Amino acid sequence: MSGPRSKAARVGRGTAMTVAGLGGLVFVSVLVYAVLTALKPASEVLSVPLHWLPSTFEWSNLTLPFTETPFARYFLNSTVVGVSVTLLNVVTCTAAGFSFAKFRYRGRDTAFMVVLATLMIPIEIIYVPLYSLVYSLGWVDSFAGLIVPAGTSAFGIFLMRQAIGNVPDELIEAARLDGAGDLRTLVSIVVPVVKGPMAALALFIFMLNWDSHLWPLLIASDDEHRTLPVGLSAMQADNLGSAAVPMMLVAALLAALPTVLLFVTLQRKFVEGVTMSAGIR
Amino acid sequence: MAVLSIRPKAPRSPAPSRNKPVRGRRKAVGALFAVPALALFLVFAIYPMLRVFYLSLFDYSLTSPPEFVGFENFTYLATDPQFGAALWQTVVYAAGTYVPALALALVLAHALNTRTRGSGLLRLLYFLPVAISWVAVSVIWRVVLNPDGLLNQALGLHLNWLTSSGSAMWGLVVMGVWKETGFFLILFLAGLQSIPDELHEAARLDGAGAFARFRYVTWPMLLPVTAVCSVMAVIRGFQAFSPQLVLTNGGFGTQVVNLFVYKTAFENARMGRASAVAVLMFLLLFGLTLLQLKVFARRDR
Amino acid sequence: MAEHGIRSLRHIRTAGAAILAALLAAATLSACGGDESGGAVTLKFWTHTHPPMIKLNQTLIAEYERQHPNVRIEYQQVPNDEFDTKMLTSMSNGTGPDVLNLDDTTLRGEYLPKRLLAPIDYGALGTGSADELKARYLPRTLDGASADNELYGLPSEFNATAFAVNTQHFADAGLDPDAPPKTWQDVAADARKLSGAGHTQAFSFLYLHSGWYTQQLQTLLNETGGTITDPGHQKATVTSPQAQAALKIWTDLATGAGRAADPNRTSREATSPFSDLATGRQSMAIVYPWAMEQIRESNPDTFAKLKLVPLPQVNPAKPVNRWYGYYWGVSRASEHQQQAWQFIAYLASQSQRWLSDVKFIQPVKGWDTSAAGKQVPGLDVWSAAYRQGKFDEVAPHFAEIKDAVMAMVNDTVFDHVAIPEASRKAAETIDRSLGS
Repeated sequence: MSGPRSKAARVGRGTAMTVAGLGGLVFVSVLVYAVLTALKPASEVLSVPLHWLPSTFEWSNLTLPFTETPFARYFLNSTVVGVSVTLLNVVTCTAAGFSFAKFRYRGRDTAFMVVLATLMIPIEIIYVPLYSLVYSLGWVDSFAGLIVPAGTSAFGIFLMRQAIGNVPDELIEAARLDGAGDLRTLVSIVVPVVKGPMAALALFIFMLNWDSHLWPLLIASDDEHRTLPVGLSAMQADNLGSAAVPMMLVAALLAALPTVLLFVTLQRKFVEGVTMSAGIR
Repeated sequence: MAVLSIRPKAPRSPAPSRNKPVRGRRKAVGALFAVPALALFLVFAIYPMLRVFYLSLFDYSLTSPPEFVGFENFTYLATDPQFGAALWQTVVYAAGTYVPALALALVLAHALNTRTRGSGLLRLLYFLPVAISWVAVSVIWRVVLNPDGLLNQALGLHLNWLTSSGSAMWGLVVMGVWKETGFFLILFLAGLQSIPDELHEAARLDGAGAFARFRYVTWPMLLPVTAVCSVMAVIRGFQAFSPQLVLTNGGFGTQVVNLFVYKTAFENARMGRASAVAVLMFLLLFGLTLLQLKVFARRDR
Repeated sequence: MAEHGIRSLRHIRTAGAAILAALLAAATLSACGGDESGGAVTLKFWTHTHPPMIKLNQTLIAEYERQHPNVRIEYQQVPNDEFDTKMLTSMSNGTGPDVLNLDDTTLRGEYLPKRLLAPIDYGALGTGSADELKARYLPRTLDGASADNELYGLPSEFNATAFAVNTQHFADAGLDPDAPPKTWQDVAADARKLSGAGHTQAFSFLYLHSGWYTQQLQTLLNETGGTITDPGHQKATVTSPQAQAALKIWTDLATGAGRAADPNRTSREATSPFSDLATGRQSMAIVYPWAMEQIRESNPDTFAKLKLVPLPQVNPAKPVNRWYGYYWGVSRASEHQQQAWQFIAYLASQSQRWLSDVKFIQPVKGWDTSAAGKQVPGLDVWSAAYRQGKFDEVAPHFAEIKDAVMAMVNDTVFDHVAIPEASRKAAETIDRSLGS
């Protein structure tokens, strides 16, 4: 961003920003509309012509999902599953990344290739046998069924292998010379260096899991285990009338809140995770 | 700042020559670190994948033992108008959503690739939908797409977005572009930021105009990112499921392949046939990915 | 990621070995199964979602558990849209309920052909034989849950079809509520007048899931003499003139000359399908006994204005009605079949309370002359409807056929496809389903 700029370039940039700004307003208007409609009295939603603002803000709408549906339970379930899956992924992917990046053994590259090849399997495609398998493990309608099969990811292993590959070998050798075992080397030398990518991975996995719909739909059939996407989908199937619009919007917006907040506060990390996974940096 | 390449450069990947060979028992210990991840993969990804290939040759309804039928499931699908329609609708949805989303993201990335105060906030406006789950997005868009909802009223239209074959697909596409543009914007922005400023400066000093700079500097440098984006777009496009299930349940010409598999397997209990679809989709996606990489690799050279 | 796609091709051979190892590991894993704790018996009981029914079920379960301290009932309601999928997958791998409540078409279309249900245990029910049991019920009413002369369930609710009109709306439009529409043409004519009086949603079919589409079309098919498939389930018959006539009635009322409402503005609430009628938006609707009770509970003011009248007919001289029922059944995979049937026996023994509390009519002999029966609003309409009804014909893989029916109706109603074209397309889909 240095050097002399012509007037034309500045004008061009100004125009570009203006257009992007207008586009941004269009994009965010959907969310603004959702928030405002969520706070309308039921009789005012979908009014023609469109009134953006409610005549009175119905703050009591905010509690509707909690009083009318097991929304709190869905929320809790999503949190439990999301956090567990994230922790599992961080552990398994970091360990595997360490193994693939810093050790040489027979079959290492093959194993890594197999892992990467699974990136190309759309997970939905294997649900038929996966369902039977998880059933035979006795994990239908259980948190284990929601958590364990999602316990690692090819993307995560790839990301952590890249990150750990950047850790200088000298650092690791020095730790070894000091008599540290491999596990200690990983925990006390490698992990502090790759904390950034690990956080990126954690954020990425959590958001991915928060979005997961089809698998929980198959595996969690009772309210005790339903996660937010399944619960929301069920609530919506039962309440399509305009009377339920505010409640459904409140539910959807509340369901979006954790990932949106995480994203806004940790935007950098997310970008890092996405770009690292894409091999851009 | 960052090295721009799909292929990790030598210092990043543990190239044998640079790695100090690790001796003795260490090898075994080192391999052990990969075991938890590998075990999970073997059990929950690779075994089911093989099982899908196996089951695709059977008539299997879950309730009775699988019965071998050879390639019958595949020959059935080859002439099944519903499968054909699902395939076509997936392609239309994927192309309809991801071509505009990628183009929009590319353009926006150029506009927003500055360090001015406003651009950070502006980016966030585009990024927000990325952070919202597909089901929550669908619930919100059901209201937006209602005949009396935001979209019709803003555009002065009277379309029944979700209840007519003429528009249901496009309603989902508009929603998809809204949801997905930010994701690719992130990627393109990262790609742009990794192009050294000196390159642009050099081109500018050579008298290159804005378009020429894009054509001869930005575009070639951005090609690897574009390749990644296009591969991801195809994969994401073919994985579409939630909006179609939540908003139309596959009606009005929106039955994408994933929903077709889901219904065939779990509503109609035709597990063998669903597995055959899965096999075909796997091969198709695999082929498409390789093809894309080939195309981009050739241009890269 | 991308780069490795190409390189992985070169590694396919080595990957093969790894995959084999995976297969072995997985095979040993999948050998482990579930377990069963001894002592007290836990029965899993699943139903669809219908709030009044859920309340009574919970009461009855509490009573039963008090009387049988060694039995615990785990009651779960499945959302109506997920119902078929959830139930079928869980049933077919043995994770499903012991006791379930299913409609007769699903029962005969999916569960009985797949042999997922256990035949009735007459001993556990306290009836010595099938004949003794049948003697308690009105003739043929147990047929909804029978296959190959074997009975598989007891009716929890048994429905015929009637029509409800909003007398207030009729008065607004200058119509006489005591002269309700007798034919579908009458419905269209009255709708025009209602529309003129500002009641634009005069009459609408319900556009919920495929089961609803099919049951409404079947109601019309019964009147026109059409069917969905031939009796042997070899071929689709939706292209027959009678079947097309039924589809024409529907389409005309939805979008054609007799347009009685805008189907795009019909509410679609799976748990309260009749919310348009109940909230006074809609003037006329096809109704069932359970629906009237739901409206009474949710909107007593509108309910007071509703009048129950016979279902409009193609030929009012020879009225035809449609039966459908929900049945309690027991999973063949259940390890507590005897206890399950004993529990069902208790549920079924409370038919008076099902009538008085939920307005579920169970076709036990003398229901309409019982104390609770006499309290049912519109008893004469229901009694007449029951005498004119029959169960639907259902083919195997009925879920696929219901999907084809839904697509056919959507084609004509929402996409304005011509009736012959839409029915031909549906016939092709159904034929493919029947042939495979």
